[in-house]
This record gives sequence, structure tokens and C-alpha cells, in this order.
Amino acid sequence: MRNDPLLSIKGLRVEFPTQDGPLVAVNNVDLDVARGEVLGIVGESGSGKTVLGLSAMGLIDRPGRLTAGQVVFDGQDVTKYSESGWRNIRGNRIAMIFQDPTTSLNPVQQIGAQMIEALQSHRDISRDNARQIIRNAMVRVGINSPDERLNAYPHQFSGGMRQRVVIAIALLNEPDLIIADEPTTALDVTIQAQILRDMRRLSRDTRTSLVWVTHDLGVVAQIAQRVAVMYAGRIVENGPTEKILKSPCHPYTEGLIASMPANALPGERLHSIPGGLPQLSKLPAGCSFAPRCNYAASACNMSPKLIQISSDHAVRCVSPLDGGS
Amino acid sequence: MFAFILRRTIQSVIVLFVMSLLVFCMINLVGDPVDMLVNPESLPDEIERVRRDFGLDQPVYSQYWHFLKGALSGDLGKSYVFGRPALALMAERFPATLELAFCALIIAVTIGLPLGIYAGLRPDGFATRIMMGMSVLGISIPTFWLGLMMIILFSVILGWLPVSGRGDIGVFLGIESSIFTMDGLRHLIMPATNLALFKIAMVMRLARAGTSEVMAQDFIRFARAQGLPRKRIIKSHLLPNILIPIVTVIGIEFGTLIAFATVTESIFSWPGLGKLVIDAIINLDRPVVVAYLLFVVALFLTLNLIVDIIYAALDPRVRLQGDDT
Repeated sequence: MRNDPLLSIKGLRVEFPTQDGPLVAVNNVDLDVARGEVLGIVGESGSGKTVLGLSAMGLIDRPGRLTAGQVVFDGQDVTKYSESGWRNIRGNRIAMIFQDPTTSLNPVQQIGAQMIEALQSHRDISRDNARQIIRNAMVRVGINSPDERLNAYPHQFSGGMRQRVVIAIALLNEPDLIIADEPTTALDVTIQAQILRDMRRLSRDTRTSLVWVTHDLGVVAQIAQRVAVMYAGRIVENGPTEKILKSPCHPYTEGLIASMPANALPGERLHSIPGGLPQLSKLPAGCSFAPRCNYAASACNMSPKLIQISSDHAVRCVSPLDGGS
Repeated sequence: MFAFILRRTIQSVIVLFVMSLLVFCMINLVGDPVDMLVNPESLPDEIERVRRDFGLDQPVYSQYWHFLKGALSGDLGKSYVFGRPALALMAERFPATLELAFCALIIAVTIGLPLGIYAGLRPDGFATRIMMGMSVLGISIPTFWLGLMMIILFSVILGWLPVSGRGDIGVFLGIESSIFTMDGLRHLIMPATNLALFKIAMVMRLARAGTSEVMAQDFIRFARAQGLPRKRIIKSHLLPNILIPIVTVIGIEFGTLIAFATVTESIFSWPGLGKLVIDAIINLDRPVVVAYLLFVVALFLTLNLIVDIIYAALDPRVRLQGDDT
């Protein structure tokens, strides 16, 4: 097994021009995803986690664009790829699953046809062979009697089933990496738990790397080995899931953990982090979390660097918490 | 499906009946056809004889009763002017109008649809701005003025195309049409284009609106994330989804092309239904006017039914029982 990371993002910056000046959705992000690893990316809405996921697919919609940094996938710098170069990777080596399964599938095409299309755009394959692969993929994601389902239209499926179809499509070409953008957020908790369990198993069995983008730390705890916490376009903390959940070093991570409903005491108010995300086009000087931070001090006017707490744990804070220890 | 068609047919018969009543009563309020038919110097008893021959001496309700009895056996009365059944006259003229409307529709779709899709895919493009500007002209310039300008340019100044008439008629597979001869096509192209201009602009605007709406949908992004080629995305994801509203409008517009080709037919002396009905209105040829109006109503009823059926075929979410939600 090779040790170089499958996906390596270096100094990535993505900007969207607005009337108030450029909006920096992803700001100097470094991130590695090892082969077979499940990485969670956690953050509030608008923290840039979705844009980060899309940039690994070359799917940033105009007028947004990548202004600095590189995305290295399997040793290749893909940032300079042409559209056809990207096309060979998308769906083939990197697959993506989106948040809302009700809108991810073409409403007027049978799902079998959509799956065959996904296969045939990457390999020269007969319809019969394609159908066999599709059947296997559907069974793997827990869809029973796949043959009957192939001729059905998306609206004939429930939300959970549709997301399974979407996952099956993502699996078709046996990608090395799947980027899942809040794939269980629109589903109810029992379905969510099933899908999390299935995905964890799939990732382990096939050694597929998984990047799980979510706002839900509970989900991350269930599936990810490592987690990166994003705030206002930056990664503020990055390390093994267990360490981060037990002893967070960044005040923002601490706030997120305290806000998890599971950590609330009955009868007490749920915790919430005061204030809201700053406008990404008008970031405060220094630490962008400082205005909401309980520990803010004058040193926070300086832009904090990523500090290595231990070999596998880094934090972007001038005075990291000592992790409750 | 069968129940749906049956119910719609019954509704159609009722609409036709009400329409015939309205048309018959109203047309009886306008002028006296006998004045148009006899020599002004005829003797009073001769005028009375003509009036009796056409049944115009009867009260309106008994005239209507007579008409209704005839209509139920397929006889919509005889033209006062030609002395021949109104339906036969219309049947003679109908192919010319159908051919004109059909060609106009083909022109509108083959030009309007690709241009509209292009404009929707490149909303900020230079070509898009020019096209959208032209489409405003296409919608707002009066047909008759443009028709006259076309005649001046292409027939009078350049001398490329004949001024008016239908030209030679060819026979192919038992169908008589001027499409099948060179001379016929040269006669057809100008009136068909004139009739199509408004529709080109309309189809283009519909296609553009549909395209920009559909391209922003998640399933397009998901299709891109699967690495589908752009052509494939346009063909199997974009096109079927924008066609649904376009087919509805085109179906109805085909009706208006047939029913209201009057202006174009008058300018180009095209021997179609529009010219027939204009002449009939001028001559107070009541049976022809009534027959024409009933034909137009029946045409729209039929087109609506066909559009609904095609709509259901295109959009699997639509079911034609009418009793489900």
C-alpha cells in the first residue's frame, strides 16, 4: 500500500467576485486525504466546506474561481486540467454525492438509464454488462430487487431510497475517493444511521477514501477517523476524531461540541455560539472567530498560524485550549 | 388513459355545442346576406324568393335548429356565394394552410430551440445579447409590415422569390403538397418564414428560460460530477426537461398558426383557410364563417388533448387519470 496521500490540497484559495469585493470562500486551505481514510469536514453553513468539496472536483461554478494553491490527486496536479481532463476523473476516480436526494436525479429519466449513462461515459461497455454492474451496485447499497427498480423514475422512490440510488451511481465506477456533501442531512435519523453504517462498511471493504462534509459533529463521530473543522473559509482545527471530540484545542470546536444536543442536560437551555459567521467579503483582521470567542484577547488581532499540537493534531489559534486535560 | 380521453371528448362536444350557439346568434346580428347576394336592382319578390331559398325568412331559433340537425349529420350548410357545402370548401383550402403552418412550426423550432438553448447556456455572451434583442423585435414587429418588407426586398428588389400564390404542387406518398416541388418551395419559403418569425422569438425565449432554470438544478451538477460529457448532459438531462413546457406551448401555437394565418395568407395571396374566411366575412357568407369558427374550436380542443397526452409521455410524474393529485 502506498503511503502518499490520495488527495492533497495545498494553499487552496477560492474567490467569488461580489459588489463588495472578492468573497473568499476557501482561504489558504491545506488538507490531505490518505488512501482508505474517512475524513470529516465540519463547519456551519457558509463556512466554505461545500465549496472546498466542489473544488476537488473542478466543479466551482462561475463566477467563482480558484485563485491560488493546488489540488493534487494521486500525484497529479489536477488544478490545471482541461474540461476533458476533469471529465476523466469525475465520476470515475472521484465521485460526489450531494445533499438533497430529491433533486440529484433527473426527474424524467428512468434510474436504470441514468446509471447506464454514468457507466458508459467512462468505459466502453455493453448494456448487458452495464446492467450486471448496476445490479451489484444497487445490492451493495441495500436496494432489494434491483431489476424492478431499474425502470422506475426517481419520484417513485422515497428520499432514503433515492439517496441510496445516488450512492450506487457514485460507486459504479469504483472511484478511489467519494466526496459526500451532507448526504444524510435531508433524511430522517434511522435512515441516516443505516446509510452511515453502510458507507463505513463500503469504505472499509473497498478501501475507498471518503470525505464526509457535514455540519453535524455527531455524524462525524460515527464515521470519520479524522476531522477538519472549518470556519469562515479556513481550517481551524485538524486531527483524529477522537482527540478532537474529547479535547478540542480551538474555542470554535469547543463551542460546536457544546452545541451538540446530545451533550445538553435535560431542562437546560441548549448551548449556542454567540453571534454569526462574519461576512466572507469583509473578514475582520486577525482571527476571524475572535468576535465570537469567549477567550478573545489582544493577541487575537494577529492572524493566527496553524500550530502543530502533536504530530497529527493542528490548530489555528494563538492561545489553544489545553484540551480540558 | 381511456377514461381521460372519453371524458375530454364529452367535454369537447359540450364546448362545441355552446360555441355553435354563440356563433350562430352573433353572426345573425350582423348585416343581411341577401343584400350582398342579389342584384340591388332586383324586384322585391325576387329578393323574397332568395331569402326563402336560403331559409333566412325563418326566425333565428328555427334556423339554428335546422343548422343543428344538419351539423349532427355532418352538414354545416352551403356557402351562399359558392353554392357548395362549407365543409367541402374548407377541406379544399385546408392542405394549403396546414402546409404553411407546419413549415412555419418547423422553422420556428429548428431555429428557436438551438438559439434559445445557446442563450441559456451562455447568459452573458455577446451573441446572446444580440439574439435576445432580435427576439424582442421578432415579438413586437407586426407580421403584415414585415411580410410587405420581405416582398419588397426578396421579390421586388432582389427578384429571388415569387411575390404570391402557392406554386406547383407535387405528390409524394399520396400527399399533395408544394413542399415536393422546387417551385412550390420557392413560393412557400417567404410566407412560412413570415408566419414563423413571431414563433421563433417565442420558442427561443422559452428555451432560454427553461435552460437557465434547468442548468441550475442539482441533477445537472450531479451529472457533471459523474463526468458525463457536456453533449450528453444537454441531450439527456437538459433537453427532456425543457421540452415539457415547450411542447405545451408549441401545441397550442400550432393551432394559432392554422387559425390565425389570415394576415400572412392575405399578404401573400396564399390560397388557404385564412383567405377563405376573410372573403366569407366580407361577403357575409354566414355558413362558411360558422363552419370555420367551429372548425377552429374543434382544432384547439383536439390539440389540447394531444398536448396533454404528449405531456404525460414526456413527464413520468404526470398521470392522466385526473383523480389523483
